[in-house]
Amino acid sequence: MTIRFSRDMGVLAVVPLGPIGEMAVRITAANLQAVLEIPVDILPAAALPAHAYEPTRRQYDAGRLLEDLVRICPGGYGKVLGVAAADLCIPILTYVFGEAQLGGKAALVSGWRLRGAPSGAAVPLDHYYERLAKVALHEVAHTLSLYHCEEPGCLMNFSPTLDDLDRLNLMFCERCRFSLRDNPWRLREVP
Amino acid sequence: MAGRIKILVVDDEIIVRESLIGWLKKGGYQVDSAEGGRQALGIIDEREYDLVFLDIMMPGVSGLEVLKELKGRYPQTLVVMITAYGSVETAVEAMKNGANDYLMKPFEPEQLTLLVEKLLQQKKILDENALLREQVASRSRYQDLVGASACMQKLFNLIEEVAAVDAPVLLRGATGTGKELVAKAIHAKGPRRFGPFIPINCGAFPENLLESELFGHEMGSFTGATRAKKGRLEIAQGGTLFLDEIGEIPLKMQVDLLRVLEQKVFHRVGGTGSIPLDFRLISATHRDLAKEIEQGRFRQDFYFRLNVIELEIPTLKERGEDIPLLAQHFLDRFRRETNKPVAGIEAAALDLLGSYAWPGNVRELENAMERAVVLAKGRYLNKRDFAFLFRGEAPDMPFSLEEMERNHIGQILKQCGWNISRAAQLLEINRTTLHNKIKKYELRPSK
Repeated sequence: MTIRFSRDMGVLAVVPLGPIGEMAVRITAANLQAVLEIPVDILPAAALPAHAYEPTRRQYDAGRLLEDLVRICPGGYGKVLGVAAADLCIPILTYVFGEAQLGGKAALVSGWRLRGAPSGAAVPLDHYYERLAKVALHEVAHTLSLYHCEEPGCLMNFSPTLDDLDRLNLMFCERCRFSLRDNPWRLREVP
Repeated sequence: MAGRIKILVVDDEIIVRESLIGWLKKGGYQVDSAEGGRQALGIIDEREYDLVFLDIMMPGVSGLEVLKELKGRYPQTLVVMITAYGSVETAVEAMKNGANDYLMKPFEPEQLTLLVEKLLQQKKILDENALLREQVASRSRYQDLVGASACMQKLFNLIEEVAAVDAPVLLRGATGTGKELVAKAIHAKGPRRFGPFIPINCGAFPENLLESELFGHEMGSFTGATRAKKGRLEIAQGGTLFLDEIGEIPLKMQVDLLRVLEQKVFHRVGGTGSIPLDFRLISATHRDLAKEIEQGRFRQDFYFRLNVIELEIPTLKERGEDIPLLAQHFLDRFRRETNKPVAGIEAAALDLLGSYAWPGNVRELENAMERAVVLAKGRYLNKRDFAFLFRGEAPDMPFSLEEMERNHIGQILKQCGWNISRAAQLLEINRTTLHNKIKKYELRPSK
């Protein structure tokens, strides 16, 4: 299927943060473009900022990374998604798979915890890429002002564990799709 | 569902506050925040919250202090205490003070989700319970009578049955239990409800005046009878005559009334014309009439005539569970009458009212509520607003602190019927300390 984008649609920037595989970034970007039906540009990779590192927790503070993404994102991109391999946290939670500014500009996804399987071994790569895409879509949808959804299987269903994440479909429920379709951002901010 | 839930986050650390607010907002909840205890106390009075996340360690007003105030004013609001690693003891203390749960930061994402879901489910049940209580409360009002207790519900059913028949009713109950209200309810529910309800307090008149009050008189029948006057028996025609304090009626008058009730006719004092009797008779007394008969102060035949149906009105102590309902009922009334912005009664104050003996029954509670509302300084009536109930018995104030303590403990024990746990709770000391004090001051229950 060929997706036709209007010339004046908003464009999402995807920024690799630190050492993350190129394939993971490309697959994530492709899924964002296909499911959200918006144009996506992959920008050059950026280093993980040292000031976002929490030495006591040996994790990166997702809130600070989001602020940094907003700062480094070139003008014209209405939304930006950072894709990292580092472990993320926020002050109140021990870890997060991703984070976003609700109704804001930046979202973030980390692959650190997405390789795990209940057996302790790593899941196959295609499974890992699917998880990455799900978290990325969930977080970007938050920047489009979508809240958590109670519909089972919807991408906006809150998934604190990998089991929860694996139960989601790679699509939004009808109600969330409606909210996304009518989002005013999709018709502005062109790079 | 989530959009209707209102959550307050209270934490002095901006990063914790913003991080938790951000997470909750993604869930679609309505979230407000306060950066300290004092600000939180102001906010909770302005808006009703379903759930409050409350940091324990805050400068100024601590989380525990906010918790006590919040639970005292809004017991329906659920509270989750947020604590740092290593302060579990404080969290346990918070749970004892009514917190619904606690979280040690940072917490697992799953833990937070499950906790919020569990608490909101709990809140839903609490709200449903509150609704059911409201429905029960609406059933707990019968005419002007208020009571959800089993004994009052039984009384309401009896009134319903008794009202349908025209037989004389004798109401027995201590002073202030609401005998006249029961009489009015019987009248209002009965077939004579469109007729007048005529009460007379038999104990309030000297014998000769009582006769004239009951039977009326013709002009010139005695000195001062400058014109004819209808008596209560005549005014009550077609309705209900309520003879309150029937036990105070002198023996001679008992004979007169008995004759009237048997012959179904009467005549005015100084008059000759017979007037047919056409009213329902309800009488009431706080006395034990069987004992009065034994002692020759009350006629047995008159008693049998009055006592076709007997209803016993419970004392307030016998229906202690109705105290919060009655207190709220009187609060609503006096708030309207006085225009005072009193929003409610703190739980501790209700406990205090529950522990008092109420010798004057509902009437005493009514007076206490009126006094408390009139003199209230805050938005919520607290224990101090009802302290006067416990002061009356010690007019001579002792000088020494020890003597004061002895008197106070003695008085509280007496009020609680020597229930040690209850007294210890009111005195805000533990049971062992109370036992030690009782031993030290050689306090004994009075016989």
